[in-house]
Amino acid sequence: MSTTLPKTAEVVIIGGGIVGAATAQALARTGVKPLVLEKGAFGGAVSGASLACISTHMMDLDELPLLAWTRARWAELDAEIGGFEYNRCGQLRFIAREHDIAVAEGWIAAERAAGLTPELLDPTAVRAVEPALTGPILAASWSALDAVVNPFLAVRALLADAQRHGATVRAHTPVTAVCTEGHRVTGVTTTGGHVDTPLVVLAAGPWAARLAAPLGVVLPMLPRKAQCLATVRVPPVIRRVVGACESTGGVEAGYTQIQQAREGQVLFNTVLAGGTVQSPGSSPAPDGARSAGSTRVSDGEAAHDSSLTGAANSVVPPSIVPPVDLAFVRDSVETLLWLFPGLADIQVLRSWVRYEAVTPDSRFVAGPAGPDGLWIAAGDNGTGFVRSPAIGRLITDGILGRTPPFDAALYRADRFTATAAA
Amino acid sequence: MNSSTLSFAGKASTGHSHAPSKDPGVEPFSCDVCVVGAGAAGLSAAHAAAACGTSVVVLDAFPRPGGQYYMQPPAAPLASAKAMRQVTDGAALIAEAERAGARILPGREVWGVFPGGGQPERGTSAAAPSDAGGFTLHADGDGGAVRVTARAIVVATGAHDRVVPFPGWTLPGVMPPGAGQRLAKLSGTPPGRRTLIAGSGAFLLPVASSILKAGGEIAAIFEADNRVLAAAGIVARNPSIWGELARLARPLFRAEFEVHRGAVVVAALGDDRVRAARLAPLDTSGTPDLAQTFEIDDIDALLVGYGFRPHVELTDALGCTHDFDEAAGGWICRAAPDTFATTVAGVFAAGETTGIAGSRPALLSGRIAGLAAAESLGFGDTSGERRYLVERRRRPAAFAAALATHFTPPAGLAAAITNDTVMCRCEDVTAGEVRAALADGADDAFGAKLWSRAGMGLCQGRVCGFGLARLIAAERGIDPEEVGFNTPRLPLRPVKLSTMQAALKE
Repeated sequence: MSTTLPKTAEVVIIGGGIVGAATAQALARTGVKPLVLEKGAFGGAVSGASLACISTHMMDLDELPLLAWTRARWAELDAEIGGFEYNRCGQLRFIAREHDIAVAEGWIAAERAAGLTPELLDPTAVRAVEPALTGPILAASWSALDAVVNPFLAVRALLADAQRHGATVRAHTPVTAVCTEGHRVTGVTTTGGHVDTPLVVLAAGPWAARLAAPLGVVLPMLPRKAQCLATVRVPPVIRRVVGACESTGGVEAGYTQIQQAREGQVLFNTVLAGGTVQSPGSSPAPDGARSAGSTRVSDGEAAHDSSLTGAANSVVPPSIVPPVDLAFVRDSVETLLWLFPGLADIQVLRSWVRYEAVTPDSRFVAGPAGPDGLWIAAGDNGTGFVRSPAIGRLITDGILGRTPPFDAALYRADRFTATAAA
Repeated sequence: MNSSTLSFAGKASTGHSHAPSKDPGVEPFSCDVCVVGAGAAGLSAAHAAAACGTSVVVLDAFPRPGGQYYMQPPAAPLASAKAMRQVTDGAALIAEAERAGARILPGREVWGVFPGGGQPERGTSAAAPSDAGGFTLHADGDGGAVRVTARAIVVATGAHDRVVPFPGWTLPGVMPPGAGQRLAKLSGTPPGRRTLIAGSGAFLLPVASSILKAGGEIAAIFEADNRVLAAAGIVARNPSIWGELARLARPLFRAEFEVHRGAVVVAALGDDRVRAARLAPLDTSGTPDLAQTFEIDDIDALLVGYGFRPHVELTDALGCTHDFDEAAGGWICRAAPDTFATTVAGVFAAGETTGIAGSRPALLSGRIAGLAAAESLGFGDTSGERRYLVERRRRPAAFAAALATHFTPPAGLAAAITNDTVMCRCEDVTAGEVRAALADGADDAFGAKLWSRAGMGLCQGRVCGFGLARLIAAERGIDPEEVGFNTPRLPLRPVKLSTMQAALKE
């Protein structure tokens, strides 16, 4: 594979996570040849560290048309491209508190009204669906058509398909600035040189706000810390995605997701309440705390943020991803064993942290913003995998001047300022 | 301030206790200095620190203290004076450390280390000393789970074999030299009837010696480096090593085996077990010439390794600075020469963790670190003795460093790695799969890991990391240093959920 940087590109996509990969794939399939620039390893920052649930359940009700479309799109991508372990295993949301039963019933009624098919199960019915879930839950909602994909392979498969259709991809190529002339995008500057382009898609997740700020585009996004544990491989024991009932909503709500990877690792993911990084100074581990002055290049986790010249007041994740919180480990092990007591003797192998990009209304920003030629595709809110094909479609339709199959207004970049003015 | 989704778990667990049938029982310890690793450096550090009056706890992963050099066999089937000497010297070191008051806890591997002596609070993330000072170490293993709170830590975790995969390296009978020696030393059984030893490094000779003593036969030693005269020059300038070298080389003079130079193993051959090895001469760029291979048959054991890599997971998890030095083993922990203090307050490192140098420099660096750790906690002024020790360490350390530059792994080893060669044994990933990930756009160890699972398994890249770095560097035409590495993450070793739960309980 060539590693030199092209001098020009029809479109530059900044960010090689699942959103950038899905956008590249959608664009390339229409004949547009994008260049994907990733600051580290593809899918190495947020996407690869997530649990990649393809779900429509207990999400944003206004987004149900998009969610239904995108969930179906994932099944199509599996048929067309495959190679990313698509598994329509269904999702359980367990209920541990009495008042959450009514909350779940509310979600179920609204989703059924929109044509989806979730249902409420009593503990006996839950055990028929997930035999190892023997913990003292009160009930669980069940969304049978939800699925999971392998997050690493999904990024890889979409990028590979994009490359087969004319896209070019470069890892370890951090973009330091988007260049403009007048009110038009003209190119990007990277640590490996300059690329001329009239179109830039900013799919840089929690790093997007800092790249957009110098262009006068304020993206109200905060990085939020999510943490995961993985056990060693064990024989199949957990069949479904097992989540907690989302009763409070909002960016500060914690959530829990448990599943078993195809290779056998039991995975546990949680966002703790109050996990949002509030200011640049409050990052959990100061940059370089791990190996100050070290020349040691870590496993893609030492990002290249110091080279990014963003607005001083934008909030970005720490450039070196810190270890997980001990309290997270304690609480998540407790929760896991409360639900699945039979896992007590399984060994934990690894833990990790990722930063999600959280917006005030928990929706993506997907659309044009600022100078002509700039498109934003960021704001995963911790559930970016399911939406990525739809976000890729929105951006592709926008660039080509077509009408997307769902309401683009929900994702407009200026919606926060418009609301404030109203 | 628990999250809404997690708080009920704690509440409910009081009423419903299906969970962990047996409490693994975490035994708590508290001490001034916790030494991790009971080899030459660790034992020496423990003895020195304890003799200064500090309370010392020593954790070691293996069932018996001693490490690789002073390895203590389960019984005592000692076959020779040399073996006897290492075992008895080791036993004496252990006894001295214990007499000075050090508490040695073998059979426990550290899986977590955290700042402070208390229990987790929200936001405790980076493992750097908190205002309260000190550390908590969690360890587990056949010895039982322990929690050690300590005011200072000495990391003396040693090293492991530096391995580059080749076709057939997963056949029974093929192992790294360190593992082969461990087998011979611990069980008194050679790795096979007739063993071929190959690779690079001064260590190959003592491995042959251990195997002969255990009753095995050596087919030959193949040393990749072929600068005989330069190596001889280094030895000639260091009379202190002559005695040991003469002992190690005695079998050579007795014609018990031969040492050949300038060729490397490019394949292990055999069906149920290794029966032969294919070798190739190295060209001037350090690449095996696959057009000129030859075979050594009538073997049933093959030991191949290219020196050692320091265990730096613990110092990395603690936030210490590391430097890259290929000859000294790759990534090594930075330590001050007069104290062996790392860049993190309260953390000292000694022995191979700070660069591969062998047992003699390790004994001295351990002692320096032990004294400095005690002094840092207010147990006297040890600067005079440390100055003397630094001076005594200078020559053997310089000798080891000079020799090491001759035994850096040949640059072109990856050329022998065929696509069907398994790179990552834990996840069963072949070189072809790694190359395919690179072809799709991955360009470093982390990217290749995400797309191929190489290094994602049980050993977390400890075994395959070096070979993977070599393969990726060769494919991409870059230095192995640029390829990256696996960041250590909690737990540093796999640990049961129930043990974690018990260990982190308030």
